[in-house]
Amino acid sequence: MRNMRKLSPLLLVFCLAFLAACGGGNNSSGSTPSTGGTGNNTDSGGRLNDQGSSSGDKVAISFWGIDGISSYVEPIIKEFEQENPDVSVEISWFSTDAIKESLKVAASSRTLPDVWFNWGGSFASFYSANGLAMDLTQVATDHNWTGIYNPAAIELAKYDGKIYSVPFHLASLGVFVKKDLYEQYGLQAPKTLAELENHMAIMHENGITPLPVGGKYGWMLMRWTEQLIEHYAGPELHDQLSALEASWTDQSVVKALTKLKEWSDKGYFPKGFITMAPEEAEMYMYSDGGYALEGTWFDQTLTSNGYDPNNYLFFKFPNEQGAVRMSSFAEGFQINAETSSEKQEAAIKLAEYITSPDVVNKYINEYGAPALSEFASTDAAPHVTVMAGEVSAGNFLITDQALPQEVVDKLFEVTDAVILNAMTPEQAAAEMQKAVDQYKANNP
Amino acid sequence: MRLKANFAPWLFLFPALFIYLMVIVLPSLYSLALSFFDWNGVSADKKFVGLGNYISLITEDTVFRTALKNNLIWLIGSLTIMIGLGLTFALILNRQLKGRVFFRSIFYYPYVLSGIIVAIVWSWMYHPSKGFVTFFLEKIGLEALANPWLSDPKTALYAIFIAGVWQGVGLPMVLFLAGLQAIPRDPYEAAIIDGARPFQTFRYITLPLLRDTFVIVFATTMVGAMKVYDIIYGMTGGGPMNSTQVLSSWMYYQTFKYNYIGIGSAISWYLIVICLIVIVPYVIFISKRSHH
Repeated sequence: MRNMRKLSPLLLVFCLAFLAACGGGNNSSGSTPSTGGTGNNTDSGGRLNDQGSSSGDKVAISFWGIDGISSYVEPIIKEFEQENPDVSVEISWFSTDAIKESLKVAASSRTLPDVWFNWGGSFASFYSANGLAMDLTQVATDHNWTGIYNPAAIELAKYDGKIYSVPFHLASLGVFVKKDLYEQYGLQAPKTLAELENHMAIMHENGITPLPVGGKYGWMLMRWTEQLIEHYAGPELHDQLSALEASWTDQSVVKALTKLKEWSDKGYFPKGFITMAPEEAEMYMYSDGGYALEGTWFDQTLTSNGYDPNNYLFFKFPNEQGAVRMSSFAEGFQINAETSSEKQEAAIKLAEYITSPDVVNKYINEYGAPALSEFASTDAAPHVTVMAGEVSAGNFLITDQALPQEVVDKLFEVTDAVILNAMTPEQAAAEMQKAVDQYKANNP
Repeated sequence: MRLKANFAPWLFLFPALFIYLMVIVLPSLYSLALSFFDWNGVSADKKFVGLGNYISLITEDTVFRTALKNNLIWLIGSLTIMIGLGLTFALILNRQLKGRVFFRSIFYYPYVLSGIIVAIVWSWMYHPSKGFVTFFLEKIGLEALANPWLSDPKTALYAIFIAGVWQGVGLPMVLFLAGLQAIPRDPYEAAIIDGARPFQTFRYITLPLLRDTFVIVFATTMVGAMKVYDIIYGMTGGGPMNSTQVLSSWMYYQTFKYNYIGIGSAISWYLIVICLIVIVPYVIFISKRSHH
């Protein structure tokens, strides 16, 4: 009897521990941000929320976005909540690379949020292909998306013929450079690659780093690589390379990598740029000058860093191929296919609200390039309308969305290797093809 | 009575053991099961491949071999340099020095920082044009040595390791300090009377009496070296050219970037087996000697 009295507190502790381990909590969408997340987990009104649960008639949904859109999307979400008091939104913001990783982690553990920002191509297709993102084709029809969104944006939101995201941005990339720098050296926007290289040489002679690139994550350097491939391969072969239908040992790839190596040997990139973070490299561009191969968000980036976008000249990369295609991609909001229909409805409503013409035009100064068919122009983002017009002449899907992720990483690796003299361009091209073959073998 | 006496310790242990089983052991066994499959982690299509993932890592994956080599380099460096420095600092700071408490805090402080913070600080220190290391070398006339260390595959891992030592030396130092302070004064006094020199005292008294501490320090250092990840990911992302990939980071890439859950799980089990092969015999060996 005495022993039982001693053991019963232990039994009680054991039971509590067992119940805590088995309780599980609410494992539906809306987990806290992991690597790189800013940990902002209150809803836009500052209220604490359950992670994606319902309370009475109020629906609570979780939203994951990237830091770059938070300055305008967060107030938009606040307004949405005011107009829709039956919906509350728990927001989490992530850096560019952190959201990619966090979504994958959440997908594996089935804790995806109700709605999340994503790029297109191979970033989004993982969720579409595996039934994690909701098929929005019927929603698109019922809500007349063709009358609202740019057809190109809707097309880029598709996977296997179905629509899997609410179009948000239709981004294209071009070259930005300080206007006063060009005026100082009496230069005009280059029409050919040779002309661009002459301008780079002039900058370099005058102590300016022509190509302030941070190569740490690969994608910043890739923007230059893909334009060189477009230049040497031409549109048709470039598309075939992206679709893994042509061999990466083609001479056009070798020439593109050789040209990158040449630029590096001439000192056109910052010293040690291969492992430099993109944010760090941008400092060179803001302070000294040089070329930024950036997208329709760049006006907003400049403004938020205290620079006037009107002081920057824009031109398409002079790849000298026909209509001079721009690298482009769509960004959108994917909806969790595995959450309740109530939450899906609220999430779609939120995504459509964020991307609606009235809201877009209200925030047009910061919004970047909307995926809408029509939107207002603004002096605060003078290049957005220009680029929207230019991209209609021709575009190709940006490489890190066009290729499977392991092939993209191999491209980053071999590009680094060429620049660091660890591989010749021919060897690098051969390694790329090996990676393509390996991918095809693993994914028949 | 004997049965009841034997049952009580298990009852005390059971809650912690249960949580350990549920949180550590069962998920580990699940990952072992996953390592025999070709699976992307979410789809219904899951193919049994047996040891195929393990074999392909050794025979086809050059980055895996690089990662394994890097972990071994980090391990050897940690066991020699990190532990050696930790012991040295502990021996110095065990003396009656003015300000020793302050210095103990200074040397231990980096250990409480997160790996990402250390990575950011040291990335800036190594910046090729604006970093402190470059600035310092230029000031002392050694600018020829200033290099973009993090961008050179030959030096990147070692540059990160220096940051890792700066961060990690605090733990062995503190453990050795605790061990040194538990050693009684009598053997030292007897040794002095017998005319022993400082090195002899260290070799024949201090080291043997620190044997139990060495077990803990070696075990924790080995495990830390095999699972190093955040400082490498933060400083180079595994580059340049995957030259600084380690097993943890490559496992992360395979699992969460490329969606090869089976391959990622196989890497994690290579890691576990290597740790067991290295640590278990050592701990058994040292524990037996310590009991004697």
